[in-house]
Amino acid sequence: MRTLAAAPAVPAALVPTALVPAAVISEQAAQAQTPAARPAGAPVANGKRDAVGEPVARFFTQSQLSALRRLSELFMPPMNGNPGALEAHVPEFLDFYVGQSPAEHQHLYRSGLDLLNTRATKQFGKPFASLDAKQADAIIKPMMELVPWEFELPKDPAARFIAAANNEIRTATRNSQEWYAATVAAGRRPVGAQQYFFPVDPIYKG
Amino acid sequence: MPKPQFDVLIIGSGHSGGMAANILTQKGLSCLMLDAGPEVDLAKNRVTKQPWDLPFRGMNKPGRLPHVVQANEFNANQWVDEKEVPYTHDPAKPYNWVRVRFLGGRSLFWGRQSFRMSDWEFKAADIDGGGDNWPISHADLDPFYARTEAILRVSGRKEGKPHFPDGNFLDADYGPDSTTVKKITDIANARGYLVSKIRAANGRNGLASSTNLLLPDAVATGKLQIVPNAIVREITVDKNTGRANGANFVDRHSREELHVKAKVVVLAAGSLESTRLLLNSGLANSSGMLGRYVMDQLYGVQVVASVPEARGGNAPEGMMGGTALLPRFKNLKKGEKNSFIKGYGMLIASGGGPTPGYFKEYGEELQKKLDLHAGACMTASIYGERVPRYENRVTINKAVTDAWGIPVLHVDVKDTQNEYNMAKDAADTAEDMLKSAGWDILSKTDKFHPPGYSIHEVGSCRMGDNPKTSVLNKWNQSHDMKNLFVVDGGCFVTCGWQNSTLTIMALAMRASEYLADQMKSGAI
Repeated sequence: MRTLAAAPAVPAALVPTALVPAAVISEQAAQAQTPAARPAGAPVANGKRDAVGEPVARFFTQSQLSALRRLSELFMPPMNGNPGALEAHVPEFLDFYVGQSPAEHQHLYRSGLDLLNTRATKQFGKPFASLDAKQADAIIKPMMELVPWEFELPKDPAARFIAAANNEIRTATRNSQEWYAATVAAGRRPVGAQQYFFPVDPIYKG
Repeated sequence: MPKPQFDVLIIGSGHSGGMAANILTQKGLSCLMLDAGPEVDLAKNRVTKQPWDLPFRGMNKPGRLPHVVQANEFNANQWVDEKEVPYTHDPAKPYNWVRVRFLGGRSLFWGRQSFRMSDWEFKAADIDGGGDNWPISHADLDPFYARTEAILRVSGRKEGKPHFPDGNFLDADYGPDSTTVKKITDIANARGYLVSKIRAANGRNGLASSTNLLLPDAVATGKLQIVPNAIVREITVDKNTGRANGANFVDRHSREELHVKAKVVVLAAGSLESTRLLLNSGLANSSGMLGRYVMDQLYGVQVVASVPEARGGNAPEGMMGGTALLPRFKNLKKGEKNSFIKGYGMLIASGGGPTPGYFKEYGEELQKKLDLHAGACMTASIYGERVPRYENRVTINKAVTDAWGIPVLHVDVKDTQNEYNMAKDAADTAEDMLKSAGWDILSKTDKFHPPGYSIHEVGSCRMGDNPKTSVLNKWNQSHDMKNLFVVDGGCFVTCGWQNSTLTIMALAMRASEYLADQMKSGAI
């Protein structure tokens, strides 16, 4: 706060919240300015969506979502002190993400999850979600293909689904608020932060 | 009150337009620069965020920028919105047109690799018969390269090889080579391949853009006005003289239409945008060559090997890290027998890791493999030269317009057997070199991205001595209209394997000095 206070050209309270590092914001909050001391219109929001809310699934059917939960657990279990996909609410996030995706990607997931259930029922007489690790492996492994070039997923629909799901379950877990929080709690340096580029001068809508 | 008539109207503000403004204002000419995009304040417009603090966990809004492989959720707002300024192509002939519309254009974000082209590219037809010779050689461009390198503050290591011409370099401290880079260097040298280092523009204060290296000096002369948010619809022509006399532009926000007057028009909107503007204006196409010979480089081929001694985090200090750059090393000798013409450069980077698709594993087993090879990988990738083809062209699609009612481009570009053979040769060569170092291949692909991906699209407005087979003369001046210049990459005759910015800038500098001299002598 001292550095900002020493720069009279830009009063601290006028700096948009988004441009101020989180540490500065919390320090700012700790100073507990009285409402009278704050300029009118100064931002007050201090919470983060993913730190307070759990995603709610709305896109997949119940049986598809159950299969996705089991697949997420297998693809990204808790490892090395990091949360797994279930702790990071990845199946529910993917329900949202895939639900927003182009039709081709939606179809890839829906038919892929249905296929997991169909094969599980055929081979073991129960849905994919109820399979133990060894049984699930007997379904997943034959579906996998190597992906030597990450920009081109396999053509076979089953292999394509497995490759896409593996990538997206892994990324959504590592990019989660839970992963970040666990990294910070363990005293490690979080990775994955990048420079976000705001929309510049969007077209005037009148 | 009547509005001013400028000496020169410059359309576009990236490295080529910036160079034109820089040179022309220093020569005392009054210039107006129009750019289609807004001005960006990079310090204010960027903020560090965690991926989970973005709406889609950093995974990007699905389907938002289908042609921009480089886009992610952090940088998505950098690129031109494909719905706002669409283009069309046959689904069987994908083309990735990667565009930026801000003051400064793509110079705000470029990768800064700065290699000169050589006479193996300028005089390519003499070597392999693929395409045509440029009307200029490296010697013609050499002084302009040297001055451009000084502006960009390029660092590099001199090699004394004519196919990889040295430049006016700052001293570069690459540090000692790691043992893996040394090993692959020895292997390549034993095959007669030159191994060098990346040559990069340092710029100033971490930026090597038109907006900090070229435009401030031009503005300081008092001779330049820059108007952002001005989308040029067409070049206008004086009916009496038959010469360009200005342009009509649309205000990006209000869509009001305005006209500006100038004695000379310089296009610097980026190869394909400049060509689109000329096609929409019905100008500079007596040759029928406008829009033809669209090129860019072939990227994507990749071979990844794992160094056994470096696995499991066991690499001793000095084993991993750094890069080896192999400038084009095939088809340098006339008559050399290969399954393809032209060539490719190769970059071998030490110290990377694998991606999950290299293994048929998941969960903990996969993580063990990824951890084992993390930091232990050698990754070879290429910069391939595509062959110029008459058939690879852009035209106007009158049925589709952009958000300002301007007809869009239809892109019709495809690869041929030469590109596929080159990619295969590159993958095989990389695999062979990495294997002979005693390293294990984890992944090999000879696949590559669709045309356009390299963001080095050039051609479509090529230069030449013959007005029947080229659009511009060797001074980037229209054969048809002497007060009309195109100073961006549109003028390229071959694309080379080299990143195109340095050459574009040197050509823009040369063309601008010629233009200023011609105006001074009264020839224009």
